[in-house]
Amino acid sequence: MSTIEKVRAAQSSLVERNISRETRDGILFALPYLALFSVFLLYPLFKGLYMSFLDWNSFQPSQSTFIWFENYIRMFQDPMFWSSLRATVVFVVLTVPTLVVLGLALALGVNRQIKGKRLLRLIYFSPYVLTVSIVSLIWRELYSPDYGPLNYYLGFFLQDPPAWLNSFTWAMPAVALATIWWTVGFNFVILLAARQGVSPRLYEAARIDGASSWRAFKDITLPQMRPAIVFVTIVQFITSFQVFGQVFIMTEGGPGNSTQSLVMYLYRIAFAEGQFGYASAIGYFLFLVLVVISIINFKVAGDSTNE
Amino acid sequence: MSDANRTAGLRTGRLIDRRQLKRLGVYVALYGTALLFLAPYAWMISTSLKPESEVFSLVPHWIPSEVTVKWYAQVLAEAPIFQWLINTTLIATATTVIVVIVDSMIAFSLTKFDWPGRKAVFALIMASFMVPIYVNMVPLYTLISDLGLLNSPLAVILPFSAFPLGVFLFVQFFDGLPDEVIEAALIDGFSSFQIYTRIVLPLMKPAMASLSLFTFVYTWNQFLWPLIVLQGSETFTLPVGVVTAATARTFQPGLEMAATFLAALPLFLVFLVLQEQIVKAVQMQGTTG
Repeated sequence: MSTIEKVRAAQSSLVERNISRETRDGILFALPYLALFSVFLLYPLFKGLYMSFLDWNSFQPSQSTFIWFENYIRMFQDPMFWSSLRATVVFVVLTVPTLVVLGLALALGVNRQIKGKRLLRLIYFSPYVLTVSIVSLIWRELYSPDYGPLNYYLGFFLQDPPAWLNSFTWAMPAVALATIWWTVGFNFVILLAARQGVSPRLYEAARIDGASSWRAFKDITLPQMRPAIVFVTIVQFITSFQVFGQVFIMTEGGPGNSTQSLVMYLYRIAFAEGQFGYASAIGYFLFLVLVVISIINFKVAGDSTNE
Repeated sequence: MSDANRTAGLRTGRLIDRRQLKRLGVYVALYGTALLFLAPYAWMISTSLKPESEVFSLVPHWIPSEVTVKWYAQVLAEAPIFQWLINTTLIATATTVIVVIVDSMIAFSLTKFDWPGRKAVFALIMASFMVPIYVNMVPLYTLISDLGLLNSPLAVILPFSAFPLGVFLFVQFFDGLPDEVIEAALIDGFSSFQIYTRIVLPLMKPAMASLSLFTFVYTWNQFLWPLIVLQGSETFTLPVGVVTAATARTFQPGLEMAATFLAALPLFLVFLVLQEQIVKAVQMQGTTG
């Protein structure tokens, strides 16, 4: 064997050793997260699917009986399920568009040449770092029909201001308004960053061309900010669909279940009534709905960015 | 600015007028909104310091005629707020530390190592993004219960450490790290572990700071899951505890708002100090998504 061949052989074995070392180290580095991920995310996901086919026996889980699709059939026949789905959709409709549009308006406003940008950003964003309990408790006070400040001031304009959280009509809008105060800051800061990322040259060019500010908004701002707008819309949709804390604390689902959201219904079925099988079925069905909606969302968003 | 002025004004003068009017409108809208945003805080603080007669007054008293700390004294005497504060801090800190370490490790592996199944694993983690809390709520509860972890801080720490958001964010950052840096270190005889601790981690400091802050705030503020798995008052986190403190007894808005203020204070102070970084951490999600 020539020297060159020896070196080549040594090199190739080194390469092979490196490849196996790469595989070994790669897996070692991935392992800690994968362990947590498998045990606390993947395993429950499959267990939940299995549980959704069981008539769960909370005293002796091993004695639970396999009942195929009965939980799912029961769900479709459960008026409470439909009413909580309806309440959730109402909440989504009230919050998602408002949160995106208001977030965008505030972002575009603060992006202008104005004094006190940092102060404004601090104020708009600040409620987002509060926990849902704090937000709900404060707004419950504000909404009080007897001594709350909101109805005192509304009393100057309205003969009969709404009873907010005690009213069938106004309870959900009230919860939505508190939610908007709480989370619009998230959309605001993300959209502000996106707006600041739009090159000023585009606007200069538009000004030279004599475009109106409305045209500039429609033809530059919106298309340039599109990915960020799509992002906050999807995130907002998923978050609003899972609303729990606000209704749980502010209304406990009332009056008369009018604000009971899906997650709250699921929580009640599972942890107040101990019907784990049925609760799993509801959870799984909603998961599938959300997956389908997300895929459509991503498709729509993807198609429009390809234009 | 009378009508006569307006019509008599030169063309340019009118333009400036209009622009100034628009500017004024923007200021009024932005600062007006800001004022509305501050009102709930003001009401919370004011109610927590008011005597009972003014709490239930039909006319709002934004500034109490006489300041009382009796609601605060009562909350501190009756509710284990400090215990909840310690619990919350422990849970949020532990989760943050675990997330930053394990997420950066797997992101390093997914972007800089080639091993069989790597792509499938990454796809699986990304897909799990969509798993909402309610799907796993019930089976996860049975798991935590089977492991004997109910009422333990681990019941919150472990499931929250499995969230995929951090992996996703780190992968974005590691992708931007040039391969040459790592190849050079390999030639210098560094082991993978040395590369991770001596080269990768120092370069990832900004990403780690952002993710830490975000994870900390996110975990600190969780409500539903701690409500399910922490069942004894001694084990509560602040978000769960404050609700029970506020609703367990006879209805007392002053007491409620004092508890709320105390519960909001720690994280709000953190926010005031680190607002730039917290805002950046949130914005990072938007730019990578």
